Amino acid sequence: MTDFMEISPGRHHRKRLYLSCMLWFFGRAVQAAARVDDGVKSEFAAMPDNFTFCLGAFPSGPYMVVGKDSLGRVRHLGSSIADRTIHLHMMFKNPALLFRVFSFQESTPVANARNRLYVHGDVPQACAVVRIMDMVQVFLLPKFLAKRAVKRYPAWPLKRRTLVRAQVYVRAFAGL
Amino acid sequence: MVIPDYYEFGSRTHIMAGYDALEQIPGLLSSMDAQNPMVITDQGVSRAGLVDILLQALDSRITIKTIQDDVPADSDLITVHTLAGQYRKYGCNAIIALGGGSVMDTAKGVNILVSASSDNLLAFSGANALTHALNPLVAVPTTAGTGSEVTRVAVISDPDNLRKLLFTSGFLMPDAAVLDPRMTLTLPAPVTAATAMDALSHAVEACLCLGRNPLSTAHAHEAIALISQHLLPVILQPDHKPGRLALATGAALAGMAFSNSMVGMVHTLGHSVGSVCHAPHGTCMAVLLPYGMAYNLHKTQPLLADLLLPMAGADVYARTPPADRAQKAIDWVNRMNQRLHQVTAGAHAVCLREMKSQDGKSLVPGHLLPKIAHTALGDGSIFYNPEDLDYDDCLMVLEAAFNGAPLDLSRVKKG
Repeated sequence: MTDFMEISPGRHHRKRLYLSCMLWFFGRAVQAAARVDDGVKSEFAAMPDNFTFCLGAFPSGPYMVVGKDSLGRVRHLGSSIADRTIHLHMMFKNPALLFRVFSFQESTPVANARNRLYVHGDVPQACAVVRIMDMVQVFLLPKFLAKRAVKRYPAWPLKRRTLVRAQVYVRAFAGL
Repeated sequence: MVIPDYYEFGSRTHIMAGYDALEQIPGLLSSMDAQNPMVITDQGVSRAGLVDILLQALDSRITIKTIQDDVPADSDLITVHTLAGQYRKYGCNAIIALGGGSVMDTAKGVNILVSASSDNLLAFSGANALTHALNPLVAVPTTAGTGSEVTRVAVISDPDNLRKLLFTSGFLMPDAAVLDPRMTLTLPAPVTAATAMDALSHAVEACLCLGRNPLSTAHAHEAIALISQHLLPVILQPDHKPGRLALATGAALAGMAFSNSMVGMVHTLGHSVGSVCHAPHGTCMAVLLPYGMAYNLHKTQPLLADLLLPMAGADVYARTPPADRAQKAIDWVNRMNQRLHQVTAGAHAVCLREMKSQDGKSLVPGHLLPKIAHTALGDGSIFYNPEDLDYDDCLMVLEAAFNGAPLDLSRVKKG
């Protein structure tokens, strides 16, 4: 072993920082949308209480953990999966693949079809989480970017496109 | 053809196809050091004498530990757990799955439990939950449709929750698929029609869905050509061995294709009709296939146009203006369903309303369509469909398919 120098794999610090920020804000936006948007609310309503899901990348993150507590309230639980029971894992095979999605080079459905992510957990709940992610992306992104992220850009009513969107943004920044 | 930035394709199943393929099984099992197999089959297969043909072909060169023929038409968790207990009780070390899709998927479920020494199949549902190779599994299909003999997929019902659980993993591909036309010679015409249309739906969706790639498309096109050329002749002359082998080969090719590109809304809705109403899968696929093609038309027109060549042949393809080819491919599937309806004396349903049980009762009551649409939203195949589907979309397509009415394309949402 002494004949060989140990080489540590390189880290893309800027990409990791970008992903961590995106996941942090996205998690807060999911929490916000679950408070103010009927579509997101109804998806969470169908999930059991004390349900937690995680979106992230192998082997060591970053992660976004969102949960529904025993009172049915949806909360962004941060970026740590340690000491948590996660019921649904949606994990990209590596951070570079997660970066492709969060930099809008590839949509989540296409990434899934290309076998870039593992889903461990209940499939109907995974379907619901993808629908929630789609709705939150439409809230957060300008149309030209959201169209790259979702299969079909929805024709929402004016109130949802403006008032509810503004509420999601304000609450996501404020952490409400 | 657009080659995606990245794609994956795998098909490790060893295929033995031909007029004496069954006789190769003992040698195959010996090579895997698996000479104490369990045979999993169903009573229909058993009554048709196919177990006897298999045993005759195996001669006395291997010891069948037990033959279990209680697999229901719709494989479920209870059956899987029961059969896993039998596997352990008799000290088996391999499985021969003799039957259609339900038998194959049941055998895959049993193999998961016995290989992982587990009693909880739910722990392995979803994508890539398996992490270890399974025990030897030899698949002998008795229908030409499911393709499960070569796929990385198993679909098993969860009767408590009225849904179908999807299992996908490379480890689920059987070690070998034995395609022997003796196994399908006695298949009744309506079952031949429904299962072949199931295979056709696999091939068509493999060409259209988000996971399509050049290798899956090549397999799918050849599958479509074989099924298109041989389905009606085999219905008219059921004991035509070359035709039966061609259909079996087409079904296996379609299985390889969709196992690598996955399937979309035809299966999303079909699985849900099956799980809510216990309707036969193949017929659901036949009815829903043209609707799935039409719904996705605006996103997949060039791909659909390409399908006209293997479906209708070079003459029709060349005569049809390029702009009309996609619609003509949809029309071809509708006409095939109508023709099968005629040659099976009405037994092959062309709409959901027409699907009847053996005692003549309606299998898909109209009042269950909302429940089916709701169930569809939780089916994993919905991820792979080119166009998005919400509850209203699912219900719209189901209502059209229920009545046999053309899909109103102006109601298909485009974003």
